[in-house]
Amino acid sequence: MPIDEQPKVPITPPKLWVEYYGDYLYGFAMSRLRNAEAAADCVQDTFLAGIKALEHFDGSRDIKFWLRGIMRNKIVDQIRKSIKENKVNIEAEDEALIESFWFKYSGIATTNPDPWQFNPRKHYDNGEFWVVLEKCIAQVKHPAREAFVLRVLEEQTTEEVCKAMDISPNYLWVLLHRAREQLKTLLEANWTGKNSK
Amino acid sequence: MITCKQVSNALSKENYKDMPFVRRFFLRLHVSLCLFCGKFNKQVMESQHMCSCYKEHEDTLASHRPKMDELKKEALSKLIQSQIK
Repeated sequence: MPIDEQPKVPITPPKLWVEYYGDYLYGFAMSRLRNAEAAADCVQDTFLAGIKALEHFDGSRDIKFWLRGIMRNKIVDQIRKSIKENKVNIEAEDEALIESFWFKYSGIATTNPDPWQFNPRKHYDNGEFWVVLEKCIAQVKHPAREAFVLRVLEEQTTEEVCKAMDISPNYLWVLLHRAREQLKTLLEANWTGKNSK
Repeated sequence: MITCKQVSNALSKENYKDMPFVRRFFLRLHVSLCLFCGKFNKQVMESQHMCSCYKEHEDTLASHRPKMDELKKEALSKLIQSQIK
């Protein structure tokens, strides 16, 4: 590497990665996969891929975030793999929603959704709120959870998520709607309950 | 003039905050005034906003997340050592 291309941040040697970043990456993978075995596999694959690609690391950011970037691809691969093994079947209720007047003509599920019991924005400065939200995300049911993780948290495009889950864009919309509904219900139960104590 | 369907489609494909200013303005205007899709799409926008903020706060949540099993860590360290030799 030429002198003027020296990394801007020091590179932690791979032999220290497990000690320094193992827990961080494992926790991140668990927040997406909810499966200890799959999360540990992701961390292992990430470190091995990181060792191979280390010469391409430009040192422009902390290596922890570079490794996390690698791991995000591994997480998407893991979800894709688990969906192949556990195929997503459309529920009759969801099919009815896609066929409904409101969805066909306005792209909505209802004109009058239940309002929030509290204003979540008022709690964004409270660190505990995000801890509770993360616990709620973990409780969203399959396959809405996988759709939510891929589309919202991992920012895959609609086309990529539909391909990974082998579903239509309309069904993806329904799954994301279900995920939002469940999150709202879970947050109202867990956060307002906590705050009223 | 944008339709409810266009608003819903846009919100299902993109994050409201990532849209260009003019698009965001007309979308917000439609959602504020529309009796049909207004309440629903406002909740979609709120949800997008909450998720964006969650992602910004994610690094502060590391201490609340589960830790890797010590035995697994040990095995992984050995595997890494074997790869870098």
